[in-house]
Amino acid sequence: MFSRSAVPRQALRAAQHSWRPQSRSLAAPASGTFQYATGEAQGIKFAARDSTGPVTTVAIVSRAGTRYQPLPGLAEGLKWYAFKNTDRRSTLRIQRESELLGSALESYTTRENLVVGAKFLRDDLPYFLELLSDVATKTNYQAHVVHEEIAALVKMSQQRFFADTTAMALDSAHGVAFHRGLGSSLHTTSDIPMKKYVDEDSLAEYAAAAYSKPNFAIVGNGVEQAELSKWINEFFTDVPAQAPFELKPQQTKYYGGEERISHAGGNSLVIGLPGSSSPTGGFYKPEIAVLAALLGGQTTIKWSPGFSLLSKATKDAPNMYIDTKSLIYTDAGLLTITLSGAASDIRKTAPKVVEALKSVAQGVSKEDFAKAKALAKFKELEYGQATEAGMVWTGSGLVHGGKPYQIDEVAKSADSVTAEQVQKAAKEILEHKASVSAVGDLFQLPFAEELGLKV
Amino acid sequence: MSQPSLAPFIIKRPWLRRWMQPLSNWYMDSAGYRKLGLRVDDLIPEESEVVQLALKRLSPKEAYDRVFRMRRAFQCSLTHQLLPKTEWTKPDEDSAYLSPIIREIEKERAEREDLDSLTIRKKPEPGSRRH
Repeated sequence: MFSRSAVPRQALRAAQHSWRPQSRSLAAPASGTFQYATGEAQGIKFAARDSTGPVTTVAIVSRAGTRYQPLPGLAEGLKWYAFKNTDRRSTLRIQRESELLGSALESYTTRENLVVGAKFLRDDLPYFLELLSDVATKTNYQAHVVHEEIAALVKMSQQRFFADTTAMALDSAHGVAFHRGLGSSLHTTSDIPMKKYVDEDSLAEYAAAAYSKPNFAIVGNGVEQAELSKWINEFFTDVPAQAPFELKPQQTKYYGGEERISHAGGNSLVIGLPGSSSPTGGFYKPEIAVLAALLGGQTTIKWSPGFSLLSKATKDAPNMYIDTKSLIYTDAGLLTITLSGAASDIRKTAPKVVEALKSVAQGVSKEDFAKAKALAKFKELEYGQATEAGMVWTGSGLVHGGKPYQIDEVAKSADSVTAEQVQKAAKEILEHKASVSAVGDLFQLPFAEELGLKV
Repeated sequence: MSQPSLAPFIIKRPWLRRWMQPLSNWYMDSAGYRKLGLRVDDLIPEESEVVQLALKRLSPKEAYDRVFRMRRAFQCSLTHQLLPKTEWTKPDEDSAYLSPIIREIEKERAEREDLDSLTIRKKPEPGSRRH
């Protein structure tokens, strides 16, 4: 019935040609480096890293996360609409062809980026670059797909979000901290967006902005730079040079405050404090990452509660989850302490958490600091080395400032942090208003004022 | 919905179309549905999954108009009357609003069936020769 002629001719022929010079046994070293090589093809910025291995990951990283959406729900809608009907291929055919080649397709949004990508075997690069270019430029935004498929998916992810108190608290802390833009919710939290704002026209317009030359970059992992550039030149020819409307990067402002949401399905408390931007952004403070490691809460070492201040402070409540994270965005960041578990545990230990934070502002012991610094560096490198995260940051850096995320530099800046810097950073963030969000049993969960935080 | 039709064959040949068009106009007019204010796509039997799905895909305005036309025609039929001549469907209003959607759905289903029964043949290596 359908022979391989179903797969676009050009891509297949290309796949055959590219086979020979690229084939290489697994053990042979590639030109392997952690550095991304950047370039521009067809006016589209791209970065490539040729790591060893038979699997290639290529992704479009677009400046179209929830932060930039002009109407609520568009970023999420676009995420679900990736790999749906295009002019050339139907949804079903995309699925079947990708299955036959053996691959993984994925799309997700973060607060700042929309990532549409594919993981596949090295030799299939031309096919998947063509597919990604189809998704970017040839997707048909149709009313019935929005109603029949996208709306249902949005509804399900909404229900999943509502069942997760930690995600709700984190989302609400962002809203309290940054208000609009970076603070806008990652999920559609009501039916209003789908009914009022998200339809095929608004999606098509947002897609045209998201997939226009200034707003996206292509990042490849496990692919040679020349190869990637060649196929981008071949397939990404119809990308509009200008967006129909500008995705405005407004400088994020930190506000702070408190929000309390009643919930029967669990208890979470998130304490947010102003943090550091990404290394590619303008407000990078490596000491915040060290401070996050110092406060910690979760241990990376087996059979030990860890050295971190918060795991010591909360050892009376071993069943409670506590963790500190430095969430970084291009021009701002949020240092979050997440507590989740029984309401009584949270009530008992939350004041101790704030005390621990205040004690850092008074001074840090040398040993703890050394451990925290080592852990911060390790975590940063581990995170950046992982394909996915590294790709998102690289793409995001390219789109926002033309600078990719380079792990080596990040490691260097983590090395230069001193104990005084960490102490000063802790003191500074305590002078700001905190962003506190409590989700769960509000009778028991403490107010920020009771914890001794300014809101 | 997919009865065999000569229409595409005729439309492709302008000379044949010139012959057949008046005949078609006469036939459509005497079919009588226009005198009840209906359109040709209102006559498609609804009792199939494909048509049900197609009806769901109509825009709200089209779906509303369709129901209105049907109720009006039903009323006329009950009272054994025709609409006043000014309210008859004019030939240029008698557009196909549902059948393109039905064709699209049928195409989707056909594609699914084709893909479900596909056979995969490995292409010969570029260098190898067949004997």
